[in-house]
Amino acid sequence: MRPPSSLKQEFLKKWIMGLQRCSTVKKNMSILERKKAIKLSADVAMASARNGKTCWSRAIIANASKHGSDKHLVEKILGPESERLIAKKVSTGALCNNRIRSKKILKRSWGIRRTRKCAPQVALASFIAKWLVRKRTKVLKSLIPGGEFMNEVCLIEETLDYIISLRAQVDVMRTLASTSEIVNHN
Amino acid sequence: MDIGEKDKHELEKRNENNINYQAPGMSSDWQFGGANLTSPPMSLVPSDNPMAIGSSCASASGVDSFGSNLWEHPSNSQNLVFCDINVQNGASSLNAIGIGKGGPNSRRSSIDRPFDMGWNASSSMLKGGMFLPHATGILPQSLSQLPADSAFIERAARLSSFNGGNFSDMVNPFGIPESMDIYTRGVGLMQGPQDIFAISGMKSVSGMESQKRKLNATEASRDACLQVENRSTQESPHKNERGSEILVPSKEKAKQGTAGSGNESDKAEFSGGAGGQDEPSALDGTGGEPSAKGVSSKKRKRIVQDAEDDQAKGGQPPIEAAKDSAENQQKGDQNQTTMINKTTGKQGKKGSQASDPPKEEYIHVRARRGQATNSHSLAERVRREKISERMKLLQDLVPGCSKVTGKALMLDEIINYVQSLQRQVEFLSMKLATVDPGLDFNIEGLLPKDIIHLRAGPSSTLGFSPEFSVGYPSLHPTQPGLVQGALPVMGNNADVIRGTLSSHFTPMAGGFKEPTQVSNAWEDDLHNVVQMNYGANAPSDNQEVNGSLPSDHTKVEL
Repeated sequence: MRPPSSLKQEFLKKWIMGLQRCSTVKKNMSILERKKAIKLSADVAMASARNGKTCWSRAIIANASKHGSDKHLVEKILGPESERLIAKKVSTGALCNNRIRSKKILKRSWGIRRTRKCAPQVALASFIAKWLVRKRTKVLKSLIPGGEFMNEVCLIEETLDYIISLRAQVDVMRTLASTSEIVNHN
Repeated sequence: MDIGEKDKHELEKRNENNINYQAPGMSSDWQFGGANLTSPPMSLVPSDNPMAIGSSCASASGVDSFGSNLWEHPSNSQNLVFCDINVQNGASSLNAIGIGKGGPNSRRSSIDRPFDMGWNASSSMLKGGMFLPHATGILPQSLSQLPADSAFIERAARLSSFNGGNFSDMVNPFGIPESMDIYTRGVGLMQGPQDIFAISGMKSVSGMESQKRKLNATEASRDACLQVENRSTQESPHKNERGSEILVPSKEKAKQGTAGSGNESDKAEFSGGAGGQDEPSALDGTGGEPSAKGVSSKKRKRIVQDAEDDQAKGGQPPIEAAKDSAENQQKGDQNQTTMINKTTGKQGKKGSQASDPPKEEYIHVRARRGQATNSHSLAERVRREKISERMKLLQDLVPGCSKVTGKALMLDEIINYVQSLQRQVEFLSMKLATVDPGLDFNIEGLLPKDIIHLRAGPSSTLGFSPEFSVGYPSLHPTQPGLVQGALPVMGNNADVIRGTLSSHFTPMAGGFKEPTQVSNAWEDDLHNVVQMNYGANAPSDNQEVNGSLPSDHTKVEL
């Protein structure tokens, strides 16, 4: 499915804002720095387009705000809401951690009780399947920003949203790059 | 390049994670194909799920696309699992009177067509726009009549072990007497999301116009059949069994029924099954189509129960069976189920059955017969259903995922896709860094006036902005070639911009050749480049990027 064009518009607007700010702050950046700045402003713009409703967006913003130099960029892009969003992430992160931990303990105790009832073959197959799923879930958690704090349901929802946002981001960047290329050729 | 190496290591690590897996045994936890019909409507509306509704956090258009996705999946799933029910309806509707075309083989082929109509009609209904709140409100009500009859429950339990227990979410304490009103209302209001449930799937089928059904027969059946096979091999034999069983009584009854439209024939069947001779006439007499359809859909449920009963008891007259099932339904609700309030919100406390908080954070779940009634297991089941429902949505989003069954493989695909998208972003940002040393990209020429409140552009660009604002809605079309024409950047190339703009606006489909070709070639190169590991890609200028680069087996689906 295509990302909605309004999402793309919003992303583009914020991204351009961030880029402008980067360019005013620092002239003559190396190519790597430019690339980092571009990516960072793109990510933050993408995250801010979600207005703090999703976990991954808050995670991105929080991570970006950690470094002092990037914080101004974040603030610029987010505008007046930046303080609120950053604070929100910090609080929910801690809560999520505790909750996840307690849930894991509970599940482990429950799971131990349950496996005893199954037939051995079934237990093995299901064990393998679960192990695979768990492994992949771990990988996915590492991919999604802020994914370590989520339970499975949230993780999948966040993945959904994240995929849409990434697609929008890729589309916009691609078109921008191509048009810049064309113009530079002319 | 330090970044490149770091990424490379990350990628390698992730690839290792992804590579070694055997074919996973189908975990009993992972009930795919059509299980989680219940969870979307139940869990989406409650406020604890910001995501599901929270596509509304995107713009309205986002909601439309995302919402339609959300609902299309349920329709898929439901159609898959309960395709037999749809089949029955379809068969009866397609072959008005003389259904019995012979053996099960012919029935099977006739099953295919109804699949289509069920499928397509629901999807077309979905695209017509969904009423989320109605759906959730009506669905649970409509399913309150789920039979607790022993035989049916048995089969339901067996089926649900493959499907992940949709019934648990479906039944809720709304009371059976209300069901009639609810059906009529439900059918009238909301047809798409009801497809999620078996029964509601029948309802939606009945609710469709007969014309639609006949038109869309073939395609939908093929899709539905394919998906049925793809989704779950375990399910299919059982489903087929059920399909044939259900068809048997329906066809027998259909012969008795009057000629006419599909609905009427269904009604005739059902009235035979329900045992009331007055009912068909009453049904016909009501005239109002939604109400009739509502009743007929209700009867369809009884037919399903009939099928189950027939199978179990071996030939009781359908009338008695229907009556029994209707009665047992009510008893069974009280005997065999427990109610659990489950909070899906962040509180995590259980067992307060007193009141529903206004935010509706409690989901009422009933244990199915034969299942543990422990609150933990019920909660587990609900959680599992939620997860599989989300996975279905993801299936739609991630390309190439529709053929994949099983959680592990799905997750694999998702991981690959997310990784590829992230890599694309990296690559594109690198490319942009090379393209424009100034990082400003001359945006005034790109965006319409109202979007940019930045510095005042030169007069030449302002002159373009009306044109741009006209063309801006087309800025994000499916064809990048057009976009390139609409987005030429700036400043000194006034004439070029005017020329490309005018040529872009006149014919929408590929207005001007040269930039399109360039863009297409560029797109291909981009695909090639993205395919390779990012670590190996160190483009310092565009020439390298556009050249042929070593590709590795990392799959990218764009």
